[in-house]
Amino acid sequence: MNMHSEQRRNLLINEAFSRRKQAVAIFVAVNLIALVVGLSWPKGFSASSTILVDDKKIIQPLMQGAAVATEVADRARMAREVIYGRKMLNQVLADVGWLKGKPSPEEQGKIIEKVSKRITITGTGKDIIKIEYRDEDPERAFRTTQRLAELFIAESLGAKAAESQAAFDFIDKQTEEYHEKLTKAEEQLKEFRSANLDARPGSDADISSRLSTLQTKIEQTDQDLKETEVKKTSLEKQLSGEAEVATVLSREGQYRSRIAELQSQLDTLRLSYLETYPDIVRIRHQIDDLKEAIISDRAQRDAAKASGRVTIDENVINNPMYQQLKRDLSQTQITMDTLNARLNEAKRQLQQELERGRRVHGGEATLTELTRDYQVNRDIYQDLLKRRENARVSMHMDTERQGLNFKIQEPATLPLEPIGLRFIHIIIGGLVLGTILPFLLIYLMLQADQKIRIGLVITEKHKIPLLATIPHLWVSSEVAVARREVGWLSLAVSVSLLVTVGVSFLRIMKVF
Amino acid sequence: MSKIEKALNKAKATGGLRVVSPQDRTDPGQQLSTVSAGLVSASEVELRASRSELIARMREIAPLDKGFMAKSRIIHPEMDENGTVRAFREIRTKVVQRSQGRNCIIMVTSVTGEGGSSFVAMNLGAAFAFDAGKTALLMDCNFRNPSLHNLFTTHKNPFYGLTDYLENTNMDISEIIHPVGIERLRVIPSGGRREIPAEYFTSIKMKRLLDSIRERYHERYIILDAPPMTESADTQILAELCDYVLLVVPYGKATETQVTASVKAISEKKLLGVVFNNEPQVPDLGWRDIFRNPFSFISQAISHKNNYKTSRAK
Repeated sequence: MNMHSEQRRNLLINEAFSRRKQAVAIFVAVNLIALVVGLSWPKGFSASSTILVDDKKIIQPLMQGAAVATEVADRARMAREVIYGRKMLNQVLADVGWLKGKPSPEEQGKIIEKVSKRITITGTGKDIIKIEYRDEDPERAFRTTQRLAELFIAESLGAKAAESQAAFDFIDKQTEEYHEKLTKAEEQLKEFRSANLDARPGSDADISSRLSTLQTKIEQTDQDLKETEVKKTSLEKQLSGEAEVATVLSREGQYRSRIAELQSQLDTLRLSYLETYPDIVRIRHQIDDLKEAIISDRAQRDAAKASGRVTIDENVINNPMYQQLKRDLSQTQITMDTLNARLNEAKRQLQQELERGRRVHGGEATLTELTRDYQVNRDIYQDLLKRRENARVSMHMDTERQGLNFKIQEPATLPLEPIGLRFIHIIIGGLVLGTILPFLLIYLMLQADQKIRIGLVITEKHKIPLLATIPHLWVSSEVAVARREVGWLSLAVSVSLLVTVGVSFLRIMKVF
Repeated sequence: MSKIEKALNKAKATGGLRVVSPQDRTDPGQQLSTVSAGLVSASEVELRASRSELIARMREIAPLDKGFMAKSRIIHPEMDENGTVRAFREIRTKVVQRSQGRNCIIMVTSVTGEGGSSFVAMNLGAAFAFDAGKTALLMDCNFRNPSLHNLFTTHKNPFYGLTDYLENTNMDISEIIHPVGIERLRVIPSGGRREIPAEYFTSIKMKRLLDSIRERYHERYIILDAPPMTESADTQILAELCDYVLLVVPYGKATETQVTASVKAISEKKLLGVVFNNEPQVPDLGWRDIFRNPFSFISQAISHKNNYKTSRAK
């Protein structure tokens, strides 16, 4: 492959030599054309202004969440949309003085088209917009660029402020609407509450707990009442079996116990002594006396009974047991009465509660609905209030130019040196092209021509040995002709170069 | 130049050698046979020397002018550093290698017209003739566009060629073989220019002619200048008669399909190879002078023009 490329190079050189006249003609022609084009090429001046889109100020993180900074995804595109707008271009044209000659609308359109073609807007980096404008007149290029940058900034800021103002206005309106709704809901709720005092959230549970308390109370009272009744019956029973007074029984009892005592003494003595024993006799007498006392006492009592008057014997006392029972019974009776009253009261209350419960259930559904409406409205209203404040801050940020901001990073300057293709570039380009073009044409011709020009190709394609490659045999007369030709051709090249260099020198020295 | 060649030249110069005409074939032939019979076991060098002696006795005419040779694009040994000479020497060596030292008939044909087959044939002959031990015979078979007759500058009388021989039954071979002023090179011109049907090539006479020429000198290489492959059907018939075919592909004139067609028309055994002819080359114009004095060329050109004008005026 290497050998091939070397062969190709040789081939190119040899072909170029055999077409030396044409090659030199092309070189000279290209050079002269470049010279003419270079001399007649208009000078172009370009002014540019760089605008920094500054949205990373301290205020931004501080106001995070509270204010929304206007985001611009593709700043260069935004800039293009603004600048290429008819309104802005018209303004620029008027300011810079394009419209001094009072052109007709069609001419104006043409001028606008021309001017907008010369404007280049590039977004270098994320936050930098470069506005470039080129013109034949450096002064005009400078002024146009300057005006474009200024107007662009003014326009953008205005648009932004208007946008945030609109946002604020909208949110404000919404807030007002919700405020009204909320007030209405509040009113409704109040009305309902005043109409249904019971109806408040939780009254249901309240009622049910109260009901159960009352129920328990009734049961308890009932139980207590029953117990008291049983107690009363028992007391009455006891009372009937008890004597009202205990006196009689007690004196007779004293006698009797004395008798029994004496009798026992007597029995004891009888065991040891005879009946005649004085002590025995005395005891017998005593017993007899006692028996007599009993009989007289009994008679006396019977007589009193018969006469119908009670003879209060000093020895007679009321029965304490009886008294106690009587008191208990009375107490029990009172308790019973109390319990009965309480039971009735509880039952009445229960009834009342049940009724209230029924009432509450009806109103609760309405209440829930009203409350829900109220809550939803309240939430939205509060949210909107917050948003409105955010919008207000955003709006203030924009009006005070604290948010997204535009800054002229690099102001337009008056261009002193022409840019773009300059005379010297064209001349050098012509020299280079003039040198390359003949070789390029020969190369293309060799590519297009299917004739065999490299001997090795035959060997490779047909597997036939290549015995030799015979170079052209130069006859001395041919060499002489070639020498002369090369002489003339080098003269032509020299003259062409001389002319080019001379004209370039004069041009650079600003002779013309 | 081999030692033998030098020795022969020296001998010739001193008059120790007799130049014999090729027609006196019996004499040197017998001599050769006796020499070869006597030197059966002699080395190849000695054999070659004897043959060279034979060749050296060939009758030569006055050598061609170097200027004329250069003009006619004929190489000569003095152009030693020339790439063209080197190329022809290379071809010669390859032919000798292929033929294993035996003499042979080589047909030179071009793929297209104007392909330079005559140039190649002529110079190949000249290259063979460089060697004092070899001789070459050029035969112009391109009747439609003959070129070898241009070599005959000194001939005043009309001379006979191949067509004359083929048409005339009484003619002797020696009458059509002519020396041209290049040592050890003989030429058979095409003869009177006319349309020769292909049948002439298929005739026994043609075959016999080739055989007899081949047998005449064992060191003689016969080179046929044939018309281009793509232009004449004669060439293929002619190819049958010869031992080897040399295909000339001219630079920048032949397409690959033409080469393919030509190659297919020639039998693989006979095809010796391809010669890529007339590759352009930047000649040595004395570039050193240009660098030393860039304006020398310009001044030369101008002065030449003036000279030309003055000469025209005269």
